[in-house]
Amino acid sequence: MSRAADRFLKVEKFLIILSAISSFAIIAILIPFFALFLCCRYDVVCKILGTQLLRNEFLNALKNSLLAATVATAILVFVSIPLGYVLARVDFRGKTVVESLVDLPLVVPHPIVGVMLLVAFGSRGIIPLGIEDTFWGIVSAMMFVAFPLAVDAVKLGFLSVDPMLEYVARSLGASSFRTFLTISLPLCYRNILAGAILAFARALSEVGSLLVLAPYPETVTVLIIKWFDTFGLPYAVAVSSLYLLLALALFLALRALVKVGAYA
Amino acid sequence: MLKIENLLVKIGQITVEVSDLLVRRGEYMVLLGPSGVGKTLLLYSIVGIVRPVRGKILLDGKDITYEKPEKRNIALVPQNFALFPHMSIYDNIAYGLRVRGVPENVIREKVLEISRMLRIEHVLDRKPSQISAGEAQRAALARALIVRPSVLLLDEPLANLDPETKMRAIELLKLIHRSANLVTLHVTHDICEALLLADKIAYMYEGKVVFVGEPDEFLRTSFARPYVRLLASIDNIINLRERVESR
Repeated sequence: MSRAADRFLKVEKFLIILSAISSFAIIAILIPFFALFLCCRYDVVCKILGTQLLRNEFLNALKNSLLAATVATAILVFVSIPLGYVLARVDFRGKTVVESLVDLPLVVPHPIVGVMLLVAFGSRGIIPLGIEDTFWGIVSAMMFVAFPLAVDAVKLGFLSVDPMLEYVARSLGASSFRTFLTISLPLCYRNILAGAILAFARALSEVGSLLVLAPYPETVTVLIIKWFDTFGLPYAVAVSSLYLLLALALFLALRALVKVGAYA
Repeated sequence: MLKIENLLVKIGQITVEVSDLLVRRGEYMVLLGPSGVGKTLLLYSIVGIVRPVRGKILLDGKDITYEKPEKRNIALVPQNFALFPHMSIYDNIAYGLRVRGVPENVIREKVLEISRMLRIEHVLDRKPSQISAGEAQRAALARALIVRPSVLLLDEPLANLDPETKMRAIELLKLIHRSANLVTLHVTHDICEALLLADKIAYMYEGKVVFVGEPDEFLRTSFARPYVRLLASIDNIINLRERVESR
């Protein structure tokens, strides 16, 4: 066997090992999903959807989760576009500090996020906006935890746009704002959408800070914990399955939207 | 007329100092020099992308040193042509006119006229990723010229072209320059391009313009030695080929 063929086989073996490890990781991630749907009892789902009290509680929680996550994502997109652009294009003193501040919410444990928001914007906080146990309390907590995901995705998008395109647009007579609107923004809208999807998914899954800051009005994640404590595991599994199915459907629909947009 | 006086531009490790440089209307100046001497940086300061530390850039007597790029009427064709990838070639060429608020029917007329002149009317509906390098170069030229700039800045515009396309592009650049009566500043490190195109050559070395004059004069200077050696060896190869073919 030639040396080149021998080397090719070695590479192949290496790839097989990598694939085996990757498959193991993917299976390990998929098992809990299967387990959840496998353990979901049809009679409990029917009971939740059939009993008016339980159904109303679930639907109210679902409405709160979706509405708060949508509002939080919309605000985050609005904020992350200028911030992402500045971080991608402008070099200024203290830029590393600002970048670290943007990523800071990633390392703060979520119950602490709840405590921080409570002492900052609660009724007795340093800026007394009274956000505890309100819809805006939920939105604030969701925004805080999803903020780095949205900003980083948008920043990466602007970084991928060749600055020369902007320079040429300026030399052709476009103002910096028009250049931003007609060149930079359209070229990174996929990253903006990706950032929005990530932020939305993260917002939907938030629970730790909500338990401290705004357990009421209930979101689905808070409801899952409450029903687990009150009615036991079957109810938590059933409501989790319903919520997860909905979240996955939304996630896939948004991903498809981004893909379709890419070929438009 | 483009005049540069006592200019100092600095970015990181690269510094460019130009004490005096004058390009008259209708003059085609080639800014020649080895890679990394700051030719492109000088171009960027003229177009307004980079702010000079000191000095003056005057266009037809008006000081434009700190003017915004969109107010200068100086068009740039960069090395990679920088066609807007999300727009068709038509929209790329029309961009400068749309920014100026020109009516759409006038834009259409002008885009078709310049596309016919540069022989790219068959690619107007395509995206930049769907055309050849030669077509991209002509599209970038069309986009720059359609706004009738006072100055045309070309940053190694022939670097990515094959020899045949390059020769056609050189003829085209000569034609455009003559018909539009422009101030043209063309950056390159290729002596052949410089000799074929330049009315004047400005030679840059270590961040300074060390020679400005006609191509013949340049070839007599010590700066031209490496280029003359290169031209002589090309000449030797051609002579050798001719001798072999005549046997």
